[in-house]
Amino acid sequence: MVAIKLIPHILSWVGIVLILLRGFPERKRVVAVAVGAGFALGVAGTFFLFRSFPGDFSFSLIRDVVGGSFLLLWGIAVASIYRSTVRNFPLSWGERFFASIFFAGVGAFMSGMIAGAISVCRLGTSGGMLMLLILVLVACVLVFESLAIERLLPPSFTVSNSALMAGVVALLLFSSSSILRLDLFSPLSMKVMKFTHDFVHQFFESMLIPDHLFIHIHLWRYIGLLFGKEVGFWGGLIIWFAPAILIALAISFERLPSVAHIRQGAQRRTVVATAIRARRFRLVVPGITILVLAGAGYQSRFPAVEYWDPKPIVISAGPSGEIVIPLKGEVDLKDGKLHKYLFSQGGKEARFFVLMTPTGQLTVDLDACAICKPDGYGQTEGTVLCYYCKTLIPLETVGKPGGCNPVPIHFTEKKDGVYIDGLTLINTWSTTVQTTARVKEGSK
Amino acid sequence: MATAIIETTSLTRNYGDICALKPLDLQVPEGEWLSVMGHSGSGKSTLMNLVGGLDRPSAGSLQVGGKDLLALTEDGLARFRREFVGIIFQQHHLVPYLSAVENVMMAQYFHSVPDEAEARLALERVGLGHRLKNRPGELSGGEQQRVCIARAIINSPKLLLGDEPTGNLDHKSTVMVMDLLKELRDEERFTIIMVTHNQEVAAWGDRTIYLDDGVLVREERMNS
Ligand SMILES: Nc1ncnc2c1ncn2[C@@H]1O[C@H](COP(=O)(O)OP(=O)(O)OP(=O)(O)O)[C@@H](O)[C@H]1O
Ligand SMILES: [Mg+2]
Repeated sequence: MVAIKLIPHILSWVGIVLILLRGFPERKRVVAVAVGAGFALGVAGTFFLFRSFPGDFSFSLIRDVVGGSFLLLWGIAVASIYRSTVRNFPLSWGERFFASIFFAGVGAFMSGMIAGAISVCRLGTSGGMLMLLILVLVACVLVFESLAIERLLPPSFTVSNSALMAGVVALLLFSSSSILRLDLFSPLSMKVMKFTHDFVHQFFESMLIPDHLFIHIHLWRYIGLLFGKEVGFWGGLIIWFAPAILIALAISFERLPSVAHIRQGAQRRTVVATAIRARRFRLVVPGITILVLAGAGYQSRFPAVEYWDPKPIVISAGPSGEIVIPLKGEVDLKDGKLHKYLFSQGGKEARFFVLMTPTGQLTVDLDACAICKPDGYGQTEGTVLCYYCKTLIPLETVGKPGGCNPVPIHFTEKKDGVYIDGLTLINTWSTTVQTTARVKEGSK
Repeated sequence: MATAIIETTSLTRNYGDICALKPLDLQVPEGEWLSVMGHSGSGKSTLMNLVGGLDRPSAGSLQVGGKDLLALTEDGLARFRREFVGIIFQQHHLVPYLSAVENVMMAQYFHSVPDEAEARLALERVGLGHRLKNRPGELSGGEQQRVCIARAIINSPKLLLGDEPTGNLDHKSTVMVMDLLKELRDEERFTIIMVTHNQEVAAWGDRTIYLDDGVLVREERMNS
């Protein structure tokens, strides 16, 4: 079971080690030691991090580190495309730095550390020290295996510095994207969507475009398209893949060596052909990187988390129009789990849930928030998750309005159960869903 | 004396029961022009194919340009042919639907990368500067053979093999082609081995060997 959980992480670990070994062919031993040591330290550090700060803080710290490496990759990608197309700025000090033992060691160490941290996030710390010790041992064995595998790769297969970075970062993203709280792709597409959303609003306001009926009816249909989930998704995809694509382009635009001084034609052509071949081989890693990023994006849509996602229980109101849910009926409302209900009245439906927060307060909320399409919520450890935007909402804050929190519903708790007014429920659902539907889907 | 570019000991090639080449010891010094003569079926082409890496011997040892051809893998042998050997046949083996210059570029492509300017220069060098865009069918036999020479030397081979390259040519074209080869050889210093039935053609070389039924029976040094 644990082994299956770790498969994506093990795959990306082997990939990272292989790419690092190939990227620093003269410093294989340093790289192997550094990456292994980094992993061990990453595992230990994360273990103590979780001990000291259980919950979200630790996760977001690790996620920010992974995100930071992605930003760094963006910088490298832009620099390399600029260098190969616009102007070949002199980078002799930079190249000396890249070739230095310091860079190889630190780079490998950092990569190992992040990979180790991600693996601990996946495993959790409940298994104790022994489990983590085994994890580190496995990782080190894999480093030795990779040393052997690396020798089998064809010698003409080389990795440029930018591709090295791209490959390692992509594999880290692949590794982290299977963990809900480390995933970067979904938040990224959400950010893009929010950005376009805000941008259009601001644009309308700054242009003083009146909220005229014509605009409302005819123009909104098209503007609404900008707010769709697709915009966020495709925008996110572009940001996601761009660095790898830029690096691949930069490599394919690399200038061939000057051969004008070689007098014999055959020799001249051999030099050119060798350079072209080498360049083609250097494109292999960026190519793999793109595939890995695709895999990471795909994984992030199906993060490996077990949700508590009950089927809504159909419920109806009494003659007074009040819904009564017994505290201890078929289900125990106070068991700390999400209990979903589907209420219908007069051809209208409303979905809501009852949940007891960790502070011991019962709360009744719509199975929808004020800003997203009403895809509903699932429960994972310590949080509920909005299926639409993949935002995690700590259980403590459920019942408070705002953002992507579930919209709270007024209710009264009596000895025998929870009392909710059916009409209010239906109305709140309708208005919430109508606004979100208009904003999110255009005027469908 | 120059080092031997070709060195064979007991080189043998059997086709089933037929022994096309009986154990042969032969040394060809670098830069020599060797003519090979003999009756039809005497094993001349067999020898050429072995030396050019187109065929593998049944027994014996074969060193060409310091390489043990028997030890080479298929890939290694292909590479050897590509980088070391140029071949001209009696039949021209040009691609009929490609122009002269494209035929030469084809050889460049298989060697490394095509370079049209260089291919044009090569054709100009064999006196075909005015027929670059013509297809083989639009060229005379002598001209076709000159395209073949341009193609054979475009990759600067160390060894040029000719299997009756003038077999289909009249006297005038033969002289033209042979003079051209001599000129190129004097510039580029490659080694030539040329099979011929024509005593006069053989006289262009430095030395002639005679094969009979797969056996080297006689050898003759030219004095020019
Ligand atoms: N692929 C083959 N399979 C079987 N026998 C072959 C093969 N190639 C050549 N031979 C035989 O080997 C012998 C030598 O042939 P080879 O082609 O070397 O003669 P040659 O001296 O080039 O003759 P020519 O002057 O007619 O071209 C011949 O008896 C021929 O029949
Ligand atoms: Mg023959």
